[in-house]
Amino acid sequence: MPVPVCARVALIALLAVVLAACTGGTAGTTGPEPTASPSAASASVAPSVEPSPTAEFPVTLTDDEGTAVDIPATPQKIVSLTPAATEILFAIGAGDRVVAKVEDVANHPPQADALPVVATFEGVDTEQIVGLAADLVIAGGNFGTPPDAVAKLRSLGIPVLVVYATTVAAALADIELIGSSVGASDAAKDLTASMRAGFDQVATATGELPAPRVFYETGTLDLAVYGIADDSVYEELLTMAGAAPVTTGSATNWEMSTEILVTADPEIILLGDGAYGVTAEAVAARPGWDVLTAVKEGAIVPVDDIVVTRPGPRLVEGLHVLARAIHPDVVLPSLAPVVP
Amino acid sequence: MAVRSQPLAPPRPRVARVGATRRRPVLLAVATGMLLVGALVLGVAMGTVTIDPRDTLGILGHRLLGLDLPVTWTEQAEVIVMDLRLPRVLTTMLVGMALAVAGVTFQGLLRNPLADPYVLGTASGAALGAAIAVLIPVRSAILGFGLLNGLAFLGALAAVLVVYRLARLSGLAPLTGLLLTGYAVGSLLAAGLAMAMYVSGAGLRQIFGYLLGGFSNASWEHLLGAFPLVVVASVLILLRARTLNGLLLGEEAAAHLGIDVRRERRILLGLASLVTAAAVAISGLIGFVGLVVPHVVRLLVGPSARLVLPLSALGGAVLLAYADLAARLLGDIPVGVVTALLGAPFFIIVLRRSRAGYEL
Repeated sequence: MPVPVCARVALIALLAVVLAACTGGTAGTTGPEPTASPSAASASVAPSVEPSPTAEFPVTLTDDEGTAVDIPATPQKIVSLTPAATEILFAIGAGDRVVAKVEDVANHPPQADALPVVATFEGVDTEQIVGLAADLVIAGGNFGTPPDAVAKLRSLGIPVLVVYATTVAAALADIELIGSSVGASDAAKDLTASMRAGFDQVATATGELPAPRVFYETGTLDLAVYGIADDSVYEELLTMAGAAPVTTGSATNWEMSTEILVTADPEIILLGDGAYGVTAEAVAARPGWDVLTAVKEGAIVPVDDIVVTRPGPRLVEGLHVLARAIHPDVVLPSLAPVVP
Repeated sequence: MAVRSQPLAPPRPRVARVGATRRRPVLLAVATGMLLVGALVLGVAMGTVTIDPRDTLGILGHRLLGLDLPVTWTEQAEVIVMDLRLPRVLTTMLVGMALAVAGVTFQGLLRNPLADPYVLGTASGAALGAAIAVLIPVRSAILGFGLLNGLAFLGALAAVLVVYRLARLSGLAPLTGLLLTGYAVGSLLAAGLAMAMYVSGAGLRQIFGYLLGGFSNASWEHLLGAFPLVVVASVLILLRARTLNGLLLGEEAAAHLGIDVRRERRILLGLASLVTAAAVAISGLIGFVGLVVPHVVRLLVGPSARLVLPLSALGGAVLLAYADLAARLLGDIPVGVVTALLGAPFFIIVLRRSRAGYEL
């Protein structure tokens, strides 16, 4: 008699594995999670005011979850638990103080290759982080880093800064927050200034061009196709790249109904899941999709979702990728490498 | 296999086997005790960071026994041994003990060999509580420090309370009513859990981790929160071992022995639920321990709850401690997978070797 209950729980659990595995493969670990957390979104970054150009420690910073994080001295052993934070730390010249990182499918930047991996999608190895005598951990919000691991590290006296950006402005603010936390706020501000300039260049280059209707596909699960939700960072980026984004019509639902898609009739389909086995042929063969202008004209373009979705220093590169996919003839300035 | 499938079948006389199993309990207690010490040693010695065994012993001697030893180890090694490994291995033992004791109690109370600590809705209630904690829009700061554990605990107890109340309203025989109501309420809660998981977005991983159970975030706070509940309730159950034996004979026989059946059943149910809730609150849902350990112990020493309860407590602690060691060796995989992998074949062997005459 008790067995069916357990079986049911087990079945749900199994379903969860499948779901987790699928979202993990498409959008899960590498960028802003498809579900915007209301608290994280509202509690955007507020680095405490720094009196002088050189960062002074001890410092208390408010992270993206609103937690006040005390950092007693300039961190010398930093652990990065989000791929974006790893990129940011290297881009602002703090790479030589990073002692461990989270697993990164893109292995970027190459300078971080040799670092020990202390966290994967499955979990965080707190013992190793303690063993490395970490004095600052940068973790991901919205469950990017399991909350119990964050709490565990904090209870052991290790400062943990939780970052989670749902807008481009928040991503830039996170870079400055991380800069303040490691005593490299000047470098971080230089980086964000150059990124803002990069965004402006793209906006200028695409501003005069007509904005085509673009559907950005974030992933698939069986017959379900996931697009982008209203007011998401994807919508913001696509608009910046000179597109009129086609969204799901809801701020929380990422599944694209074929009805809405056919009504919106995108002229271009960008495959953010192109790296995970979705091909233009497969897209064209989907029932009902043959009427779409993009399918008729063969305007189905795979894009590198990591540079597009990772809220780090290569966001400008991501914007270039989008702009070129949307406007093949657009002229963009060449990019300097973000890690000096 | 001689496991009774009819819960209400009359019990057989069990005089014949007493002689053969008289010395076994002592041997079993000694063996499990030694295994527990072994698990403790391995538990603090093993990990992803290599620490010199002499340092590990030194840290334990210094911090636990207050020995005045020269400090040859790093501060980090001390934190790893004292705040990560030691609470973890002790938590596995506490949870294993709790689940086994609750398993014995539920099997005896419900006179059903398939009963486990989760049979009356505790698991579904705890899981739903944990899922709600994940859905509440507060993040790491509060979630890590006990919101999830607290709601899981309350969810487990609330589920049993609802099952108990509803079962009393039904016109069925008490045991049948409890089991069926437990099933119904469990299904309802499972539906709620499914819905919570569907809307949880990125929190799904957290809920899923709870469903699998594990000890990777064991801490002194959680351990000390659950410890008094589990120990006090287990001792109270042990003091009622005679009652539990009486209830095994059936309601009428128990009543003839002078047992207030309804009252005792309610008390035992409450105590076992408390033990279970405290365990699942700090460990998540770990299956198999509470179902199998009591059976194995009964096969070895006979059915008397006076023996089965304490030996199951030891056995549960041993099984879960080693299962967690294995899980850690395999890269911190979910411990529930290991308990089933280790426990099921062992159980089958024990069942094959057992002679006729096994009963609850």
